[in-house]
Amino acid sequence: MDKANQVRTPVRLKGMGDSVYVSFDPAQPIEYLRGEVDRLFKRMKHLAINARVILDADEQDGYEEIVEELGKFLKETFSVASVSCPPRKRLISEEKIRKLDMERSWDNYRSDVLMLTGRIRSGQKVTAKKHLVIMGDVNPGGKVIAGGDILIMGKLRGIAAAGQPDNDRVIVLALDFHPTQIQIGKVLAAGSPSSPGKTAEFAHVENGAIVVKDYLGTDPFGRIPWPRVR
Amino acid sequence: MTTELTTEINMRCDLEGRIIVITSGKGGVGKTTATASIGAALALEGKRVVVVDMDIGLRNLDVVMGLENRIIFNIVDAVKGKCKLRQASVKDRRIDNLYLIPASQSDNKDVLNPREMTDFSGELRKEFDYVLMDCPAGIERGFENSVAAADEAIVICAPEVSSVRDADRIIGLLYSRSITPKLVVNRIVPEMVERGDMLNHLDVVDVLSIELIGLVPMDDQVVVSTNTGTPLVLQKKSPAGEAFCRIARRIDGMTDLPIEVPRTDQRLWKKIAGKFGFGK
Repeated sequence: MDKANQVRTPVRLKGMGDSVYVSFDPAQPIEYLRGEVDRLFKRMKHLAINARVILDADEQDGYEEIVEELGKFLKETFSVASVSCPPRKRLISEEKIRKLDMERSWDNYRSDVLMLTGRIRSGQKVTAKKHLVIMGDVNPGGKVIAGGDILIMGKLRGIAAAGQPDNDRVIVLALDFHPTQIQIGKVLAAGSPSSPGKTAEFAHVENGAIVVKDYLGTDPFGRIPWPRVR
Repeated sequence: MTTELTTEINMRCDLEGRIIVITSGKGGVGKTTATASIGAALALEGKRVVVVDMDIGLRNLDVVMGLENRIIFNIVDAVKGKCKLRQASVKDRRIDNLYLIPASQSDNKDVLNPREMTDFSGELRKEFDYVLMDCPAGIERGFENSVAAADEAIVICAPEVSSVRDADRIIGLLYSRSITPKLVVNRIVPEMVERGDMLNHLDVVDVLSIELIGLVPMDDQVVVSTNTGTPLVLQKKSPAGEAFCRIARRIDGMTDLPIEVPRTDQRLWKKIAGKFGFGK
């Protein structure tokens, strides 16, 4: 296998001492990654049994869920002995950035956020270049549009379009989440009928579709180890 | 500077009449009935009141008030200077101090513009204590004309999702003109609310989030009153008429008057007791 071809392959496997080292591109959908891992491990046949596997998401943080799911799949399907992540390398560049963050209390970043208080009524439209925070409610017929994330610290009953025009890695969060319609990047979803409970929920794109989850239960950003500017 | 200006405006409002626009966005929620009833109730309180039909081309208020056969001039004539304000004001037969300025039936809404209405409002303020503008449905010229000269606004909303949506839009437009509107929830059917088939007034207030000044129950007497041209507030035992009377008192300064929530008529035991002549 030549090097150019190796770079393009989303899942790569190599032997490393007494372990099997699997590195994968976390941007790929989970089904595809599982299929590729399955294909590679089937080729290993009996060598896979009781093997120690190291799963590496191309040295990127924040993909623990994918690692966990692939690990579970490997243990169940191929009876591997253990699944672990590679030890984190200490990067000088990263250390410098983090030191600067600490010293300046993140003052060296600028983030464009439009933050409004009040009620967005029917027929009103609020557009933010990047992120949008509304401390208030969005009524049915009201519309909020943002280039980045949308956070509604109240009831979302109107239309929310985040990540416009084409960023689908953003979220729409509301403390009471009952939108008429949600748009994230180019993905669109109709709002669900209101449920009696009032919990903070958020919408994000998963496998090309908009998925709504309980925010506190999922804690989507809780695993990011170091505060990042969004 | 701002304080002086506010004081000046307040003084002017005290000395001159208050112009209140009654609007809803959606049609058929009871704007005309509310205008006629609140106007009549305010006049019964001894205030000099004029109700103005701003629905040019589709006039109705004259029929509801039973004054359709006495119209000679209309709002367009008065605004364009073809007649004097007093000539266009039709005096009610039953209630002293109550006047109607009817709409023109043959023109359309573009015949007037907001600037003309603002100029005309000065005359109305001098002549009357209360000027109630019956705004047409929609948010086009008719709405613009009605709102142009108004100091205050009352939004009528039925407990229906579509009505709430339109009322919300109207409230946004009123706020953009720095008018803080007040809310009347009309046509409440308590039985349906209790069954969960109709929006509760609390849900409506929750979405619209403005000051509530009255809850009006659905009432068959409204149809009778409209068809016969009798003021609803003069009809005895009309729950809607009583509700409009309380709204008028609240507008006229009795702000601490409690808001009565329409409830199902009576409980079973009370009904039985009523049959035997008890509990009355």
